[in-house]
Amino acid sequence: MSSRRERLAEDEGYRVWKGGYRPYDIVKEACIALAVVAVLTVLLTILFSSPDEKPSTVASWAHTDPVDFVTTATTELDGSSGTGGYGPPYNHGSDGQHILFLRPQKWMGVKIPIDTAKDFVLAPLRSIPGQPALQTAVSDYENASAKQQGDWTAAYEKGLGNARADADGSITVPAGNYGPLTTMMPALLSFAQSGGLDGVLLTSKQFYQTDYTKPLLLLADGSLLSDRAQAEHLLGEQWGMMNETGSYPGQVWLWLYTFWYQIKPFSTSANADILVMAVMGALSLVLILVPFIPGVRDIPRWVPIYKLIWRRHYTSG
Amino acid sequence: MPAAIFNLNHPAHYVHWHFVQISVSNVIVIVLMLIVFAAAILAPFPGRGGSS
Amino acid sequence: MSATETDERSWTAGLRRRAVTALPPEKLLPDQQPSYVASWIYVFGVLSLSALVVIITSGSILALKGPAWWHLTGIGHFFNSVHLWSVEIFFFVMVIHLWGKYWMAAWRGGRARVWITGAVTFLVAIPCALTGYVSQQNFDAQWISTQAKDAMNAVGIGAFFNLLDFGQMYSWHVLLLPAAVVGIVIAHVLLVRKHGVVPPFKLPDASPTEDVSP
Repeated sequence: MSSRRERLAEDEGYRVWKGGYRPYDIVKEACIALAVVAVLTVLLTILFSSPDEKPSTVASWAHTDPVDFVTTATTELDGSSGTGGYGPPYNHGSDGQHILFLRPQKWMGVKIPIDTAKDFVLAPLRSIPGQPALQTAVSDYENASAKQQGDWTAAYEKGLGNARADADGSITVPAGNYGPLTTMMPALLSFAQSGGLDGVLLTSKQFYQTDYTKPLLLLADGSLLSDRAQAEHLLGEQWGMMNETGSYPGQVWLWLYTFWYQIKPFSTSANADILVMAVMGALSLVLILVPFIPGVRDIPRWVPIYKLIWRRHYTSG
Repeated sequence: MPAAIFNLNHPAHYVHWHFVQISVSNVIVIVLMLIVFAAAILAPFPGRGGSS
Repeated sequence: MSATETDERSWTAGLRRRAVTALPPEKLLPDQQPSYVASWIYVFGVLSLSALVVIITSGSILALKGPAWWHLTGIGHFFNSVHLWSVEIFFFVMVIHLWGKYWMAAWRGGRARVWITGAVTFLVAIPCALTGYVSQQNFDAQWISTQAKDAMNAVGIGAFFNLLDFGQMYSWHVLLLPAAVVGIVIAHVLLVRKHGVVPPFKLPDASPTEDVSP
């Protein structure tokens, strides 16, 4: 193995090429390359086009799977939904993920406050005009004790396990002690099916809105998006990060990123995301610093693919 | 939506190997990359050798 | 004041001098290359640049009519397809370029910054693509944004970089991240021009005086 001084001296010799040159038209090469890529892109476009699967709406969800919609809405009411227990940046439902002593999710704080009961159920119901019985039911719910509210939602969720969707779009839940939920939740379902909930969730802050946080979080708490994703092989455990909808090629360059999620300890960890980001952050740093890492920077010398690349130079030299 | 010559809007086929699942389209891309890389290194490049 | 006195105090003249010293016109636009630049692997850098040009051109056309256009018209969908396939080609040729440069150990001879700017381009292109995927305004965007938000939140940036906020993601995708990619690519290309393409390894049994012209 050469000493550090020998290595540095050899490297200094690579700084400037003192050998022969040949004519090389880089502008012509660039023009040809651009033409080739442009033609190839247009060819692929004509052959395959691109995918465009229509987005789900809260309305389409409420029509397609009303039982799942009402179940999800009830979990938003009692905070047991995915968003309800998420933690920062939405709420204090949990502390979020951590790695060793690092808790960046917790330190980030609640910067996008979402009160799932109020934002997804109570405020939308309050916005429905001309239904005094509904407004009374909402008031009854809001004025009840936390324990009473919890009893109602727990009973309703149990009943929903045996609910069925009716032909007219409503659902039938077995009888039980649900308190005002018997009035509230069917009203929310109708409101959602009319498109009103999509509108209210988007424009609750101001008229002009481009922030879809609320409707997306509500959709993601239910099964509709994940059912569609599973059919398209987009779930995490299906290596979904690499895939595109349909049979289109996807994001092949994300192979290593999604790989970690498939193996232990990542696949069974509640902190999978921060663990994978830490590993990929470290590997990204390694990629950037390859010139300085002994061993990694020496592999090209040990596995002499360079002899193939520069074979003309070596045989003519 | 304009009609493409080949309609890829149907569920993909997948290659399964132990815990690895890759779509056929992605496998084609990866294999093509390896072939193109090998071809780039091995294919003769036009032009004379260098002048000194 | 003499010309020399003016030059020494002038920032403009100083900057011009440094720029022209580092990159005289013959280095900026050389019409010859070292004799060892004779392999098809060398074209993957310029192919990556070409793909980037097609991405930006098609992206600019999509930006002309706004984010909903491609869902509504055939011509809009055409340019969306061009944009998607040019991205696929970009990553395809850029990774092959990376493979080639790794096996050539192209960081040798003081070219570490060339490697570093290239690696950073790749790493910045990935979130640039991500912001594009979540700006599609279709099911794919809904799924990707609701999934990837967990990684952003886990590392503490989700409140600042909200994948579910279409307006923010579209802004990052159309302006901020492409500007970053282009800026780093310009630095990368200028560094290549400044340092020249890395010479071949000296063969293990080569004498120290090989490759040096008499």
